[in-house]
Amino acid sequence: MNIVVLVKQVPDSGAERTLSADFSVDRASSSNVINEMDEYAIEEALKIKEAHGGEVTVLTVGPAGATDSIRKALSMGPDKAVHVQDDALHGSCAVATSKVLAAALRTLSPDLILSGAESTDGRVQVVPHMLAELLGVAALTGARKLTVDGSQLTVERQTDEGYEVVTAATPAIVSVWDTINEPRYPSFKGIMAAKKKPVQALTLGDLGISGDEVGFAGATSQVLEFNKRPARTGGAKVVDEGNGGEQLVSYLASEKFV
Amino acid sequence: MTSFVESQERRDLRAAVFQLGSRYGESYFYSAAARGAKTTELWGEAAKAGYLGVSIPEEYGGGGGDIGDLAAVVEELATAGCPLLLLVVSPAIVGTIIARSGTDEQRRRWLPGLATGEARYAFGITEPDAGSNSHQIITRARRDGDDWILNGRKTYISGVDEAGHVLVVGRTEDARTGKLKPALFMVPTGAAGFEYQPIETGLVSPEKQFSLFFDDVRLPADALVGREDAGLDQLFAGLNPERIMAASQATGTARWALRKAVDYAGQRKVWDTPIGAHQAIAHPLAQIHVEVEAARLLTQKAAALDAAGDLLAAGEAANMAKYAAAEAACKAVDQAIQTHGGNGLATEYGLVQALANVRLSRIAPVSREMALNFIAQFSLKLPRSY
Ligand SMILES: Cc1cc2nc3c(=O)[nH]c(=O)nc-3n(C[C@H](O)[C@H](O)[C@H](O)COP(=O)(O)OP(=O)(O)OC[C@H]3O[C@@H](n4cnc5c(N)ncnc54)[C@H](O)[C@@H]3O)c2cc1C
Ligand SMILES: Cc1cc2nc3c(=O)[nH]c(=O)nc-3n(C[C@H](O)[C@H](O)[C@H](O)COP(=O)(O)OP(=O)(O)OC[C@H]3O[C@@H](n4cnc5c(N)ncnc54)[C@H](O)[C@@H]3O)c2cc1C
Repeated sequence: MNIVVLVKQVPDSGAERTLSADFSVDRASSSNVINEMDEYAIEEALKIKEAHGGEVTVLTVGPAGATDSIRKALSMGPDKAVHVQDDALHGSCAVATSKVLAAALRTLSPDLILSGAESTDGRVQVVPHMLAELLGVAALTGARKLTVDGSQLTVERQTDEGYEVVTAATPAIVSVWDTINEPRYPSFKGIMAAKKKPVQALTLGDLGISGDEVGFAGATSQVLEFNKRPARTGGAKVVDEGNGGEQLVSYLASEKFV
Repeated sequence: MTSFVESQERRDLRAAVFQLGSRYGESYFYSAAARGAKTTELWGEAAKAGYLGVSIPEEYGGGGGDIGDLAAVVEELATAGCPLLLLVVSPAIVGTIIARSGTDEQRRRWLPGLATGEARYAFGITEPDAGSNSHQIITRARRDGDDWILNGRKTYISGVDEAGHVLVVGRTEDARTGKLKPALFMVPTGAAGFEYQPIETGLVSPEKQFSLFFDDVRLPADALVGREDAGLDQLFAGLNPERIMAASQATGTARWALRKAVDYAGQRKVWDTPIGAHQAIAHPLAQIHVEVEAARLLTQKAAALDAAGDLLAAGEAANMAKYAAAEAACKAVDQAIQTHGGNGLATEYGLVQALANVRLSRIAPVSREMALNFIAQFSLKLPRSY
């Protein structure tokens, strides 16, 4: 099976993050990592390859610094990578990003596209759906389990209430949550091999996309202002006056923990 | 390393190992120690990713890297709060000696287990009357037909309870001159006539130390590692890796302690500002940071020289690195405790437990004084007193 995994580089969500003066995500002053959810997508791709054979390609749209994340992704085991890099991409919206990803995916004609369910910077959760629309393939999103049987894909789609079982035939895109597996650590041999794996560089020109379709120029929406997240408050305190247990359970229920 | 920055691969390895180690951290390490448990889960995961076998040759299933790669693994695990002592012994000392000196058959027999991390071997050189002075070793092997018969004792040997075999440094008698020369034997921990007893120490560590007693232990001919007449050279081959690893373990622990101190100093307010703003708190930490980085640079230099095959120059750098790293680690833990005030002595923070562990780095595998003796004699050409 020809599998492409979408891997986005994002600012480390464990560290201080901020926006630049132009309201784009500040990538220069932060330490950047692979979007956490995408590591689960890579793991799932590798497991499918190990069970059914095939090839795994990593696809990234991002600035020059994203090569660090591509190398890290390759050290986990994928065969090769495609890196779409173009200065005009700065400030791209989700629609434009999806257009670029779709164009690159057409050059790879995958049977299966795997992605994270959301990125930790943008968090819009729309790219997989937009790609399905642009490529005319099925979208099985928010997976907590994926089974491959020939060209038939079965997904347990995680929801707030439980899960839904959905199926589709390849070609399709599946986006995954962190409940789907436990990503492997890059092995020593994987790390040593990563730098030697092929990374194909593509520009917008290579994909037949003009600069004004993307970036701030082509954005379908615009960020006008932003505020810092309010400081954390104390949280709910339960004082046990005989009904502490009840209060605790109703709090947990209101937060959908139980 | 051909420049002052390690290769990209080495840095990627560090990041991956640190990420794994951080999922465990000091609370895992010290709670295992308190329960009398081992670090089996962490060892298993690190082994699975190939991190424990990085320095074993590829043809035996290892990573084909050098001692600098293994040193990076041990350092990053220690930086994450998990200083695994057996890594210094099993893949580094025993692995290097067998890889460099073993016969082809011995390499095939012993190295694949080290490559996967499934096998663990202890290393026994210290005796009650032969610690710093290993010329005094009396553990002795004599021929009996094709077999060897081993008699003697060892002390402070780490990890014997976890090891399948102990690589024992003994002596054999030269048939012609009657002189005793060092020889190395792989001794199964279950061998008849071999007993070991734990030594109670104040160390808080999952790895324990043991006294070993060999009473007419019969060993097959091939238990002798390498050649009978090359014992000393073979032993020396293991010394650089041992010191580089001990130094790395120490710099890792130093970085761990420094990080804890810095985090605490940045948050704890006693008056209006965080205590880290007071120079009395900040300067010692800055100073330690410099000393740790200096020790790391020396360690990486020693590893690079060893990998390049310049064992003599590597030996000098390794002794300097071991000295500098142990001093930096002791200072780092001490100052981290001071920075934490009373909390520095609470078991919750893990620092008080680390106190004895870093103190060990000044004593073993070679003491501070013996390292300085080496530098005085080898680097400075000063006369010796002993
Ligand atoms: C400060 C800020 C300003 C923004 N401004 C605008 C704006 O003006 N207009 C607008 O429409 N949107 C805007 N966005 C949204 C932003 O463009 C999207 O976040 C981005 O296009 C991709 O969406 P996502 O990463 O949130 O995707 P998600 O749908 O959350 O990501 C899901 C998965 O898609 C894959 N993926 C996403 N992006 C890539 C990529 N580049 N390369 C490879 N794989 C990828 C990954 O596998 C990821 O896990 C803004 C976001 C921020 C934080
Ligand atoms: C926790 C732990 C784990 C260990 N694990 C192992 C192991 O796995 N395998 C193993 O073989 N050994 C192991 N050892 C032993 C360790 O290597 C020795 O303790 C160390 O080499 C010092 O030897 P010693 O204890 O006999 O001290 P001694 O040799 O008795 O030295 C006592 C003191 O005198 C100083 N001194 C001695 N001679 C001189 C001199 N000429 N000039 C100046 N000062 C001198 C020493 O530096 C030291 O401070 C371990 C020890 C400990 C504590």
